[in-house]
Amino acid sequence: MSKTTEPPLSPAHTRKRSPRDGRSVSSSEDLPEALRVEPLVAGDATLGKLDDDIRYLSEAKPPRSWYVSLVVTSLMALMGFTAIGYMVSTGIGTMGNDIPVVWGFLIINFVFWVGIGHAGTLISVILLLFRQKWRNAISRTAEAVTVFAFVCAMMFPAVHIGRPWMPHWLFPYPNERHLWINFRSPLIWDVLAVFTYFSVSVMFWYLGLIPDFATMRSRVKNKVKGAVFRILSLGWVGNARQWIHYEKAYLLLAGLTTTLALSVHSIVSTDFASSMVPGWHMTIFPPYFVVGAAFSGFAGVVLVFAFIRTPLNLKSYITERHMDLLNKTVLFLSCLMAYAYLMEGFTAWFSANTFVRYIFANYVFGDQWWAGTLTIFFNCILPQLLWVPRFRRSVPIMVLVSGGVTLGMWLERYTIIILSLHRDYLPSSWGVYLPTPIDFAILFGSVGIFLTLLLLFLRKMPIIAGWEVKSDIARYNPPPSQPVGGLEAEHA
Amino acid sequence: MPEALFGVLALFPSADALLKAIPEVKKRGFTNLEAYTPYAVHGIDEALDIPKSKLGVLVFILGSLGAVSMFLFEWWTSTVSYPLLTAGKAYNGWPAWVPPMLEATIFAGTFTAALGMLFVFNRLPFFGHPVLRSKAIDEITRDRFALMIRPDDGGLDAAAAIAALEAVGGGAIESVPERHFKKTGLAWWAKTVVQIGVACVVAGFGTAWLIRTFPTVRPMVEMENQPRLDAQEPDTFFASGRGMQLPPVGTVPRAFMPILAKNADQGGKDLVNPLPVTAPVLERGRQQFDIHCAVCHDRLGTGKAWLDSTYQAQPANLQSTTIRQATDGFLYWVISKGFATMPAYAADISPHDRWAIIRYVRALQRSQDAPARDVK
Repeated sequence: MSKTTEPPLSPAHTRKRSPRDGRSVSSSEDLPEALRVEPLVAGDATLGKLDDDIRYLSEAKPPRSWYVSLVVTSLMALMGFTAIGYMVSTGIGTMGNDIPVVWGFLIINFVFWVGIGHAGTLISVILLLFRQKWRNAISRTAEAVTVFAFVCAMMFPAVHIGRPWMPHWLFPYPNERHLWINFRSPLIWDVLAVFTYFSVSVMFWYLGLIPDFATMRSRVKNKVKGAVFRILSLGWVGNARQWIHYEKAYLLLAGLTTTLALSVHSIVSTDFASSMVPGWHMTIFPPYFVVGAAFSGFAGVVLVFAFIRTPLNLKSYITERHMDLLNKTVLFLSCLMAYAYLMEGFTAWFSANTFVRYIFANYVFGDQWWAGTLTIFFNCILPQLLWVPRFRRSVPIMVLVSGGVTLGMWLERYTIIILSLHRDYLPSSWGVYLPTPIDFAILFGSVGIFLTLLLLFLRKMPIIAGWEVKSDIARYNPPPSQPVGGLEAEHA
Repeated sequence: MPEALFGVLALFPSADALLKAIPEVKKRGFTNLEAYTPYAVHGIDEALDIPKSKLGVLVFILGSLGAVSMFLFEWWTSTVSYPLLTAGKAYNGWPAWVPPMLEATIFAGTFTAALGMLFVFNRLPFFGHPVLRSKAIDEITRDRFALMIRPDDGGLDAAAAIAALEAVGGGAIESVPERHFKKTGLAWWAKTVVQIGVACVVAGFGTAWLIRTFPTVRPMVEMENQPRLDAQEPDTFFASGRGMQLPPVGTVPRAFMPILAKNADQGGKDLVNPLPVTAPVLERGRQQFDIHCAVCHDRLGTGKAWLDSTYQAQPANLQSTTIRQATDGFLYWVISKGFATMPAYAADISPHDRWAIIRYVRALQRSQDAPARDVK
């Protein structure tokens, strides 16, 4: 949806507008090839066809492959829950955590999922503020990725506190013991930031879904489904007066959530940066974590779209240009990550502190050298493939790169957490960390939870923000102003 | 008119057509216009003279309130209610309170924006909107743009409205009837309030019963049921069969003076407070009293402190005549050996501190019943 004040839409089919600046340009054929801009909507998409293409997913019976995938991912999730149940009932010793590495896989996974969870806000909100129209088609799924990633992320601190049935102890509430939490600790900032981010993401997601639920309400034949969508759409009728407030709320949420998106991973990073551990105690951590989060988030979204674009027949709305722009962002963020790694290394060298220098050497040359080395390879070297324009539109390459980035960002957190903790300032307390099968079962279990939720979303919900993309379609494939005979015939 | 009319509605194939039609309809003298669109059409606010949304003001006010409330909450918990010294940092170190304040601002602001838009400005949820019953609603939420002429002060001439909409090129013209809802009177509100009240009472008693029946749910008890020897537990490892071993014969613990009195009355006669009444003694007594005694006996010794509801018995009122008349030795014996529900504190409070506490209790008693000469 456009946020700028625009001149009225041109009725003629031949008139196209540049999505870059909103100015009206003549048909692409008039321009030299270098200046031509691909439209963000391909083919003969119309407003109604979008509804037919997207909504049928929730109306038609899913294919067998969907059921098979759902069974597999649910079993993965079940394995994760079983492992958590076993760990809680037996004891924390079933995981690899031990002195000195007290933050093991659970915290790695937490930071990893929080990072992926930045996809939604960054794409949906920050790109909205920057008036990047290509966000419209991908925002809904990106927001879903955020919400589901946060479901996974929030599970880990709850498990990590050791008594998962007492998560309310993390929050300040009046109690018989007259105790309050310590607001000067980054750990409580973390709790509040993650809680706020999750609730605001869910709210933002639902707000965007209301007009689409109204569309679903009109389309479904099933009475029960109809009732569900009637309630979910809150009686939305698309009155122009409603839209004025709606857009205002959307913009305000975008502005506020941008601050939130930048603050959440900064705050998560203070969990590390405020402790006296070599490799953690650095001022670069907040921006470095935010860039890392954005990086893994964008890679996650690229992965999701690379897999769903063809089977769900979304190519008219998620065009190759969308994938190109997403991959360009991944490339840009990869370069920022490389810069952050270099600055971290420089800081370590410049500190002239034996331990800090040793830790950084240990990342790439130590007994677990593969963690740091692969981090650099996947996050900084492999994405350089995307400089080639052809590769940015090639599904195998983007799956390779984004899959690598996802793995690389997990390894980065492994490097930061495990390799820093197992060689701290006191050589007598140095130790070795080895994960156990329970650790891996919980990690893959969280992947299962994420994929299960994603699969359900892809078949049951409007996966493209219809009302936003419709304004794009109206811009690229404007409907004829006259006549309206077809409609009259329908209602005769 | 036979039935009240909500308005006359026509569909247009594009936002462009709708925007062109609005001024034309206005020219024909219709003032109360509404538009229904599948997405937010820009320029429609000017065409229909819709004022700008005031949502931003509300968000600013409540967002700021979120920040201020969080600041006050952090200040109160960290400095007044529960001053906790960590790493030598100041209690009122406000820079560390900024991140929670930021989160509170955003939380309050975003929820105000979303809920304020839905509930306050757009009056949703509203499932009885007349347009929801129209034939056009399925088109509006899909790909058509509706313009509706609604009755203004002079009512609405339906035929003229239909003619006007036809003239500007609107299709599928439809008269949408008004819907009437029963007014919610006082009786309805009274009934609703009573129903909610009954539900609250039932839920309250139900919860209280559940808590009493199942006092504590402890999913994991390994920390409590460890393979370890508790005090006085038997054990087969040692020849003596005891878990705890006796100290070697003749051992005397440091600063240990056995209480030879057999009962409290005997103790009251035999034991004498060795400490002088000095400021350091009273200060020590106050500190120890506040740590060990105040949770039950209250800081003033009234016996009405915050743990009194947890135990079935009422803690003793130290201001009572009985305790005032009891000797220091009696109180020393009670602290050391326990009394009724009160456990023995000999293991937790050193003899010196026990006597200091008694000095302080005497001072407390005097503070609550001071003779006139004390305040001269």
